Amino acid sequence: MGAYRADDDYDYLFKVVLIGDSGVGKSNLLSRFTRNEFSLESKSTIGVEFATRSIRVDDKIVKAQIWDTAGQERYRAITSAYYRGAVGALLVYDVTRHVTFENVERWLKELRDHTDANNVIMLVGNKADLRHLRAVATEDAKGFAERESTFFMETSALESMNVENAFTEVLAQIYRVVSRKVLDVGDDSTYFPKGQTINVGSRDDVSAVKKAGCCSS
Amino acid sequence: MWRDPGQPADSYYQVRPECTDVPKTRFKIKLPLDPLLQAGKTLSPRKWQAAFTPEGYLDISKTLSRIYRGASGIHPSIRGEVWEFLLGCYDPKSTFDERDEIRQRRRIQYIRWKEECRQIFPVVGSGRFITAPIITEDGQPIQEPLVILETNQDRGPSAETGNADGNGSNQSRMNASCSEMLRELTSHGPLDQKVIQWLLTLHQIGLDVHRTDRTLVFYEKQENLSKLWDILAVYARIDTDVGYCQGMSDLCSPMIMLLEDEADAFWCFERLMRRLAFLTIVVLDSYCIEVDDKRGNFRCTESSVGVETQLSNLAEITQVVDPKLHQHLDALGGGDYLFAFRMLMVLFRREFSFCDSLYLWEMMWALEYDPDLFSVYEEPELNGEKAEGSKGRTKSIRHYGKFERENMKNGAVNSESPLPISIFLVASVLKDKSSTLLQEARGLDDVVKILNDMTGNLDAKKACSSAMKLHKKYLKKVTFLPWSATINPDVAFEMFN
Repeated sequence: MGAYRADDDYDYLFKVVLIGDSGVGKSNLLSRFTRNEFSLESKSTIGVEFATRSIRVDDKIVKAQIWDTAGQERYRAITSAYYRGAVGALLVYDVTRHVTFENVERWLKELRDHTDANNVIMLVGNKADLRHLRAVATEDAKGFAERESTFFMETSALESMNVENAFTEVLAQIYRVVSRKVLDVGDDSTYFPKGQTINVGSRDDVSAVKKAGCCSS
Repeated sequence: MWRDPGQPADSYYQVRPECTDVPKTRFKIKLPLDPLLQAGKTLSPRKWQAAFTPEGYLDISKTLSRIYRGASGIHPSIRGEVWEFLLGCYDPKSTFDERDEIRQRRRIQYIRWKEECRQIFPVVGSGRFITAPIITEDGQPIQEPLVILETNQDRGPSAETGNADGNGSNQSRMNASCSEMLRELTSHGPLDQKVIQWLLTLHQIGLDVHRTDRTLVFYEKQENLSKLWDILAVYARIDTDVGYCQGMSDLCSPMIMLLEDEADAFWCFERLMRRLAFLTIVVLDSYCIEVDDKRGNFRCTESSVGVETQLSNLAEITQVVDPKLHQHLDALGGGDYLFAFRMLMVLFRREFSFCDSLYLWEMMWALEYDPDLFSVYEEPELNGEKAEGSKGRTKSIRHYGKFERENMKNGAVNSESPLPISIFLVASVLKDKSSTLLQEARGLDDVVKILNDMTGNLDAKKACSSAMKLHKKYLKKVTFLPWSATINPDVAFEMFN
């Protein structure tokens, strides 16, 4: 179904970024999640692209706005501008190319430099279907994720394995962080501007947005 | 009724039957039913031949006007040779023999460069390519299993085509020699920084070659894929400032389809790169100094800054021609116009069908044509004199493209760097969507969405004519800026007589 035109009826809007080295499969993970499509002819991402999809978490509708970024290092000056306001990230590497896993550390640093500490991060080892070519052991990645306290999953956009899980887990975790915040800080106005919808990517650094009408104290 | 609806041109750039999700082409080949009625007709092979004198001098002004009058473009069968002139590979004021000589010289030069690359890394020119790095950033060789597979077998994980049988021993020899060569390279002490940088880009090129225009039948052939890889690899080696940047494969791919000879395709691509770099060079230079000591990834920042200059020019233009829209975009946090980045970076390759983007390119180049292009590229030492108009080669204004003439009329040519037509094209696309953007965009995401939705729905012809109108409007409005006072007297003379 239409990824963009999905629905304007949601309770939360979360901005999530897809980052990682070039060619690890970020765009195909996104198209698998938002349109259930995978393309062997997909093109490289120039600059940034994005798609959305809404899912249900508990009894709430969460709309994910997922920004897909170019992987080549020299694009970072541009892509990092889009990190602003992100509350979640999928940091993707390719299980068949070890170097893409080695670079995860750099990406993580970059992410932490540009986003809030509460940012939910999921390390994603994509192309897990290429078993005969595997160059990164699952245990290594798991260990790394534990040390860095990020979530971890192996996926295959081609076989549609774990893609849904990876995204929904990130969204659910963000939701948890946000709803905990509601309990902790009550009406923290930076996170919950009442009576208005703030668009992600606007000048206001607000990305976990509660739609008008709900949650008035 | 009497009007020729034109023939579709897609047969020249066949799409694989299984790829259905590709933008439709609007460009049509329009050939005259009545040979006397030439207006609005595609530049045909016959008309193209007729534009040359027996010695080989080309009537460039007639050719240019045939391309952009009626916005009718170039017949696909002669695109490659016409592009060579539009991009400044050759001087229209030269003979067939002179051009043959240049062509031979350039082919030899290319083969020499390619051989130098092959000496460093023998996969160049082998018909194969890599998608994983072969060395670390500090120059230590690494062997990813993927690379061994890619250099060792015909059927790598992602090489769909290629002959499966045959020269197996050749390959393992090549693979052995490839790792040996790397070992040998590093055995004489640390690698030169430029060689490391080059080796580090090779897999990035490979990753992108795998996903460039793969919907076209042409790129089902492994041979064409590796041609694309080879050209980009050689280019990255000779232009160490730019190296390879994602998007360049989109710019290079058409050249390989249009020009059969690999070296010819390389030179066309090289001219295109110069053309794009030329627009940003001033800013790049000043920026380099600032970032020089940062090393590491400074190169990347350079190139993005180049486009960012264009983006700020775009902001400036929009501010002049559609202030309301600019205000709105700025209020949404889009004042940097980053959302238009891709259009400028790969010259609309992603917004139009393959065929339509080629048409758009040739329209841009014909409109922007500068008869000094060839000598500026060939004799860079004369470059600086151009502004003074003292070369004694100043061509008649008829030899310039229409867009360039507008610039001259308004004195913009002598300003630091006249704005390229591509920025006006983006501005025209934005202006076209102005009311939608004003009414529906309440965030940057909406802006991106609206611009994304128009992919494949754009009319290249319309975009060109409205870009020209915007350009006129823009020049009129900014005429009172200081640089307009410095109109080239030669041109002024010609214009007023």
